[in-house]
This record gives sequence, structure tokens and C-alpha cells, in this order.
Amino acid sequence: MAERVITYSEALNEAHRLEMASNPDVVVFGENVSSGWRQVTKGLKEEFGRERVRDAPITETAFIGMGVGAAIMGLKPVVELMLVDFGLVAMDQILNQMAKSHYMSGGAVKVPMTLRAVYGAGTSSAATHSESLYSLFAHMPGIKVVIPSNPYDAKGLLIESIRGDDPVLFMEHRLLYPMEGVVPEEAYTVPFGMANLVREGYDVTVVATGLMVGKAVEAADELSPKCSVEVIDPRTIVPLDEETILRSLSKTGRLVIVDEDYERCGFSAEVAAIAAEKGFQHLDAPVVRVATPNVPIPYSPVLEKHLLPSKEKIVKAISQLVG
Amino acid sequence: MFDLEIDEETKIELYRTMVRIRTFENRARVLIRDGEIPARSGFYTGQEAVAAGVCAHLSPSDQIGSTHRALGHLIAKGCDLKRLMAELCGKSSGLNKGKAGPYHIFDPSVGALGANGIVGGSVPMVAGYALAHQLRDDGGVAVSFFGEGASNQGGVQETLNLAACWNLPLVFVCENSSPEVQRMLGHEIDYPQLSIERVSDRAQAYGIPGATHDGWDVLEVYNAVNDAVIRAKEGGGPTLLEFKVHQIEGNLEGRIEARDDEKIWCPIHRFKERITDEGILTTELDEKIRDEEKSKVGEAVEFALRGTVPELIEAFKGVFAGGP
Repeated sequence: MAERVITYSEALNEAHRLEMASNPDVVVFGENVSSGWRQVTKGLKEEFGRERVRDAPITETAFIGMGVGAAIMGLKPVVELMLVDFGLVAMDQILNQMAKSHYMSGGAVKVPMTLRAVYGAGTSSAATHSESLYSLFAHMPGIKVVIPSNPYDAKGLLIESIRGDDPVLFMEHRLLYPMEGVVPEEAYTVPFGMANLVREGYDVTVVATGLMVGKAVEAADELSPKCSVEVIDPRTIVPLDEETILRSLSKTGRLVIVDEDYERCGFSAEVAAIAAEKGFQHLDAPVVRVATPNVPIPYSPVLEKHLLPSKEKIVKAISQLVG
Repeated sequence: MFDLEIDEETKIELYRTMVRIRTFENRARVLIRDGEIPARSGFYTGQEAVAAGVCAHLSPSDQIGSTHRALGHLIAKGCDLKRLMAELCGKSSGLNKGKAGPYHIFDPSVGALGANGIVGGSVPMVAGYALAHQLRDDGGVAVSFFGEGASNQGGVQETLNLAACWNLPLVFVCENSSPEVQRMLGHEIDYPQLSIERVSDRAQAYGIPGATHDGWDVLEVYNAVNDAVIRAKEGGGPTLLEFKVHQIEGNLEGRIEARDDEKIWCPIHRFKERITDEGILTTELDEKIRDEEKSKVGEAVEFALRGTVPELIEAFKGVFAGGP
């Protein structure tokens, strides 16, 4: 039988359907989640009813906080943030209540909640509709941060998120929604904290997340065969599979980090710090970061493109590093 | 609102709960002075009637969300006094292993979920507790305690709207501790914080019932909450209740009585006079109740002081439930 190919958004939709069918505690709410226009939640209301699939008012603080409370009560809420940027209006509920309640309570309560957030630039949507921001949430203890880069991982990581006991920020790059890939029909999980060795290589290690994984692979293709590039997709940045990154670094001696989030104090800085602290003896050259500079994302397509990491920038960074 | 026939036993229980809260808080004050409790705490002295009158309607399978003046709510909801005091002392025998302190206590075994260090922070979460009851159709109810300062927070107003839209089984309980001056307790502000006289007037804007009552009269609280809880349980949706309260001074001597000039606001003093007049509370019974509560709180203090401090490794444990 031929392997089935579906899109990233269809894979996410299927993960919802499988988990909602097998567990009545899984409930979905957020803005417009019942709408046929929303690719990931399309059809859920029709299949599972409007009690379990609810459109919330445009009040992120209230409905994210409600997710926290529902999770404490033993439900498995999957709450959708239309864009991660909109989570900024609900930071108390995300960073104080969702992230800390388990720890603060000495383990007396759990918060098994999945907060799905669409993220990412490249659609000329400007400064409050284009950000990545996952580093901001990864900074706070208590939130697992998941960034699937392909349809297979999207489905498996979402099911893992829903079945887990902890709050998860689940980041979906909007430009990945139409991406096609082989996805099994049954339910399966992709464990957290296990990086994916996307492409094996010997000259340089490239660590990339989300949409940037594909761009790193394109760059590796372009540089092949004169330069052999290893591409690692951490898949989850909390928890982070440091071991796979360091093992790769011990082989290649060179490290490039490709990160759509802002450069300062971000995920790219974290990986660079790990390399410096724990992999210094392997480094043959300074670590190079290809990240979004520390300016808000501008509207004009030429300006936006100028700032974002791209295949060309990755090729250039690797070329300079490998020489 | 109709006046309930409240039986003698319930009245005595309400009185006992209020005495318990005040006795506990006064002992906590002593432990703070002595350094056994390592931090300040928000106190609830003078507001006891609200916690007692509200929680008397709730069972352990109903939830409350609270504030940074949570002790009264937690005690009225049934938290174990020993483990509660141990938590205040930061001991591993505390309800939350010494990680919560006064502002973050959670005790799911009695539905106390939980104290909260952020003004208005618990309110959206309570909507989640109510949602769980609604989805499970189990007849449960959730109560959200907050103050008049929190009533201005966006999250509180968002939750009033959401709870109304979704008809959640939720009772909003606003304890207005500055009903005359419209200023926040403990905050030096030169401008009024509310643009209206009564917080409950906001209920109309969300399409739900709202009313303001004297929070120093425990029977008035009990009656008002009875109606709101029945309404919530019967699928009628949320209610916004405002209770006017006045904080009064606690003391280190363990006195239950308020100062003379505070007696007019003191729910314990007022209720004692009333049920004494009704012949329900005799001097002997009053002494018995006070002695028993004093003794329970004394045992809680002993338990707390006897407890050990957490192992240092505990600081790193429990960031996640499902590791790592």
C-alpha cells in the first residue's frame, strides 16, 4: 500500500480528531475554532459537538486562564491562540498561572494543557502578526515548547502534547500548513527532547527550528557536495536534546544556529551558550547565528525579507565558516 | 432573595468557622513576629463572614479561586490547619511542600484552587473549574473570590463576560474592603479606583444578576450565596455578588474581640450578639468553641514547628509533572 501523504495542517487536524475520539476529556476552545475556514480545527465541531469545541470571545486572558483551570480539573484542553503575538495580552495566565501552578503547588495540581499558537513571518503581516517568540516562553520554567517542522512531527508531537501531564506551547508556522509529507493514519507519538537528525554531514552542524529546518536543508543541498552539512531539528526546545547537538558538534567542530526568533537572549543564544559551556573543546571556529535581528518585523516585503533568515543567508554563513 | 430558615446548628458552625479563622490568623501574626513564618502575609481579619457564609454552601467537590488574602477562604473551605500552618512556615510538611507560601496555596483535596499572588489572577482559572462542572454535568459549582481592586483588572472583566456567554456555574464574590472611600486597601492613591459606587452594578453590563450586601453580616452573606449557588447549579449561569467589608486590626495576644471602635464592622462580634440574643449561644458554649478552636490551632502550630525544612534537592523537583 502506498504511503499516505497529507499536509501539515491536515496532520494537526487528524491529531485532534483521534485524541478527541479516544478521550472525552479533550476539549478545544479559542477564537473561531468552529469555523470551516480554520484549517486545523475544521470539522471538529461537527464531529464532536459544540460543547467540546467552543468559540471563545476575543479575550485571551480569560480563555487561556480557563484552560489552566480546566486542566487542573483533569480535562485536556487544547487552546488555540490565533497568533502567538496575541498571547502577549495574556502573559499572566501563561507565564504565572499555566507555567508555575504545578511547581508552586508542590505537585498538588497538574496543568495538562496544550496551548497551540500560530507563529512566523513571511506574509507581510508586520510587527504584531509575524513574530516567533518561542524563546520568550522557553525562558520561563514550567512550559514545554514544541516546534514541529513537518507533517509527521506535527501529528506525533501534538498527540504527545495532549497526552502529557504538562503545559505545552505548541508552535505552528503558518507557512508550513500546506507542506506535504508522509503521515501514518493511526495515532502515534513523537517523544519530547529527542532531536531529529534531518541530514547527516561532516563539515558543519546546523541547528534549526520550525520553518528554518527546510531552509537549512535547502542550503545544505546547494552546498553539496563540496561541503557536507549536518542538519539537526531539536523538535522541542524545552526540553532540549543537548546531547544530539553536542555529539554532532564533536564530529563537525563547527556550529551554525538558524532561528527565526529574535537574536538577543533567544534560542540561538541558548544553543551557542551550550556549545561554549559543554562543547568548547570541539569547536574549531566561533559559533555563527543566523537569526532575526533585534528589530520589530516591518510590513514592506523588501524590508521583511531583508531581516529574516533565508537559504541565502544560511549558505553564506556556512561558506564563511567552513571557508 | 428570600430569607432562609437557618437552623441553630448551621449558625453555630458559621460562628465557629469565623472564630477559627481569626484564631488562626492571630497565631500566624505571632509566628511572623517570631520569625517562624519567614514572610508577611495578607490577612483576612474582619472579612470572616464572607468566607464562612460562602463556603458553607460548598462541598469538597466544588472549587474556589482565591487571592493573596486567602487564609480565611482556605480555612473555611476546609484546608487542614496543620498542613496549612506548616506551609506558611515553609516546611516540607506543608500543603505544598513549602513551595507555595501564603500567596500560592493549592489544596485540591478540598477544592481550594488556590490562593493567588496576582491581583485578579485566579479569576480566569475559576472559569475553567466551572467549565469542567458544566461539561461533566455533575451539579458542581465554582466560586471566584477577588477584591474591588481586582474587579478593575481586564482578566476579571473578561471572565465575567465569558462566564455569562457560556452560562457557566460560577459565583463571582467581590469583597469590597473600601466601600466608602473607593480606595484600595494598603495602597496610597489620591484618585478613586472605581468610577461607580457599587462593583455589583457592573453585573448589568454582562447581563447577569448582581447585588451588594453587608459582608459583616454572616447571615446576609449566607442567604445571598444560597440563591447564587442554586442558580448556578440549576444552569442559570453566573452571579456577581459584592460584599462590603472592613478589615480590622488583628492582635498578638490571641484576642478574638475587635477594638471597641471596630466592633460595628466585626462580623464575629455582631453575630455573637445576635445568636446570644436568640439564645443559641450561651457563655459556656462560646467559651467551649473558642477553647476548641484555640486548641486546634495550637496543634497546627506545634505540627508546623516540628516539621523539617525541605531538602535542598526539592528546589529542582516538580517543574514538570511528566519530567524532565
